[in-house]
Amino acid sequence: MRKYTLIIAEKPDAASRIATALDDNGKTIRENSKDVPFFVAKNGDKEIIVASALGHLYTVTGTKKGEWSYPVFNYQWQPRWIVEKSASKIRVWLKVISKLAENATEFVDACDYDIEGSIIGYSILKYACNGKEKTAKRMKYSTLTREELKESFANLLPHLDFDLIEAGLARHEIDWLYGINLSRALTLAAKNSSCRYTTLSTGRVQGPTLKYLETREKNIRVFVPTPFWNITAKISIDDHSFDFEYGKKAIETKTEATNISATCKVREGKIDKIDIKEFQQNPPVPFDLSALQSEAYNFFKYTPIQTSKIAQYLYVNALISYPRTSSQKLPPTIGYDIILKKLCKSTLYQELAQKLLVQGALKPNEGTKVDPAHPAIYPTGDQPDKALDASEKNIYDLIVKRFLAVFGEPVLKQSVKVSVDINQNLFFMTGYRTLKEGWMKYYKPYVHSKDVSLPKLFEGKKVTVENVVLKDNFTKPPLRYNPRSLLKKMEKEKIGTKATRATVIQTLYTRKYLEGVQNMTITDLGFGVAEVLRNYCPDVASSEMTKKLEEKMEQIQLKQDTKQNVLTDAIKVLKTVTSTLKQNQTEIGVQLGQKIKQLQLDRQTVGNCNKCQTGKLVIIRSKKTGKRFIGCTNFFESTCNASFPLPQKGTIKSLSSLCKTCGYPVIKVLISQKYPWNLCLNPNCPVKENKK
Amino acid sequence: MSCKICSRQVKEKGYCNRHLKAYQNIYEKFEMWKKALEVTWMDYLSKISKNSLTGEWAKEVAKQLIEDDRRNVKEK
Ligand SMILES: [Zn+2]
Repeated sequence: MRKYTLIIAEKPDAASRIATALDDNGKTIRENSKDVPFFVAKNGDKEIIVASALGHLYTVTGTKKGEWSYPVFNYQWQPRWIVEKSASKIRVWLKVISKLAENATEFVDACDYDIEGSIIGYSILKYACNGKEKTAKRMKYSTLTREELKESFANLLPHLDFDLIEAGLARHEIDWLYGINLSRALTLAAKNSSCRYTTLSTGRVQGPTLKYLETREKNIRVFVPTPFWNITAKISIDDHSFDFEYGKKAIETKTEATNISATCKVREGKIDKIDIKEFQQNPPVPFDLSALQSEAYNFFKYTPIQTSKIAQYLYVNALISYPRTSSQKLPPTIGYDIILKKLCKSTLYQELAQKLLVQGALKPNEGTKVDPAHPAIYPTGDQPDKALDASEKNIYDLIVKRFLAVFGEPVLKQSVKVSVDINQNLFFMTGYRTLKEGWMKYYKPYVHSKDVSLPKLFEGKKVTVENVVLKDNFTKPPLRYNPRSLLKKMEKEKIGTKATRATVIQTLYTRKYLEGVQNMTITDLGFGVAEVLRNYCPDVASSEMTKKLEEKMEQIQLKQDTKQNVLTDAIKVLKTVTSTLKQNQTEIGVQLGQKIKQLQLDRQTVGNCNKCQTGKLVIIRSKKTGKRFIGCTNFFESTCNASFPLPQKGTIKSLSSLCKTCGYPVIKVLISQKYPWNLCLNPNCPVKENKK
Repeated sequence: MSCKICSRQVKEKGYCNRHLKAYQNIYEKFEMWKKALEVTWMDYLSKISKNSLTGEWAKEVAKQLIEDDRRNVKEK
């Protein structure tokens, strides 16, 4: 009978790479069973089969089926196909893995070395391979390059990382308990009050995140600006114009500001002082995932999820190291010079990599953050097998350039602070000059020197005042969050993990708690949920409790606490919270029900009623005929009878815009296999008349 | 009892907690405006109610205060 080592990888792409790397001839045979691929390799006298997961194949679920109530505290791990309709593919997938496990003599977990990867591998070995998690060995690697995979396989870890797994299981189980109980409490409260079913959700990380958004939005909405003034002067020195700023950047009274500006109405000033300083700028530190996401948003406006996906693709293709890391360290074992030599093969990076290689000793400028499982993100130096698309190229370039820059020398800069005296008022300007380019040459175009060249200057030199401008200003409200700043806030508050934060933000959009991407704005429904959480279970929405729980889960990993303890504590808290929610169910329902009704009304609203001027035009379905039309909300109060016919087929979307010809609301009609078209509600619109 | 501006429950001074916070802000910031521009209370309210940087709830309170004042003048 065929005997082999069964390796479990996290995804099919990774499985194929691992098999190819471990095969003596660098080739793998792709086999299929019921459309589930696995990869066969020959390694010495061993046969290896690499099968793969498809992300998580098991999930936490309640033990009682079909019962939609709360609180729920009994749960189990089950195959995902049993729990999620959309995961039916997993059923066959698991069958194939179980079949492959039957004849395997040795088991190796080669999923990504982090919390999620460890749980994926563990649950497959435990449930699909008949309890092999106890004897399986572990492959640990940070890149999918042939060299590293071979070395990792030759030096297998003797067992799975059970501490990491315990911590991960605790996280999943606690998140499930929080999510299911709180979400059901909200959904049921709203349903009982409004008789409408809308899925509402909240969770351990979602609650506090929603609270940050709510607090920010409130600060913006109650904001009152205050006036201040600033004065700038255009000054010409040797025929070059420069912008100077008055010493006091915010003048608080108009009288003072106008007085100063009036005394500056002269043609001449003189240089009062020149202050020259030299300073160094150290290279940037290597990328961890959040720094990469932040920089990618900065330069390419990619959302954190987009960046994460692109980085994952580059990783699976062995172009970069494991991206879901929080490390800012690059240990020498990754082989700096080997990577640089490989990069020399690329025409894009050859020149820069060469420069570093001749620079001598390579020492990266590391940051303080560490990750027990992986180093910071770095390029492997391997060339892509197939061409990268534009966004992949961008992220790859950013990662390579950052990697190169961290080895660069510090930048040496000179700052020249010049003050000019205009009728005894001092104005300032600072110019910069780069004396030594250092690491900046490796990080272009992601860094600018911002140099300003100055003419010959000396103290007492006469200058010409071209003009003096007094500007009215107001203090600004705080900025709304964007994907980057919200992610940073979550990270700073230590809630969620790098693997889950972006998904939590996505859920806030799906639940309609949040609108807008660059200016994230909490909706009325979001406000409603945040308010309920604050009033009835403030702990759930507080960063404090979430943070504490995160710390406890870290302690499991460090063997300072047990999963059982942490779960018992979490359930204790949840018991109190759910009982408060139950007691106040009616009140909560009324609050949320109103918001949901409003949200549904907004979705059906196509514009304001021109006839009564107070109602809103909404899509209505006639109870008598079953046909849909547009009517005024005041129709229900019998005060307005405005109505418009609608096409009976297709989807109607509100455009929140008015017809340029007649001023009536315009809607969009979408019918499958037809071009969507815009329709003015006014049957007598001149545009339509013309067409007749 | 419900807020002078919205239908939410009154917290203090006839305002719900949202509009109360806006009212407090308006009240506090008046000192700075008075010093900066030597404006009267009504002038100030009119200026902030038209300023695009003023928050939505603060604008609602400012407009309501202006409206209140108009009504008081009429009644007198
Ligand atoms: Zn109010």
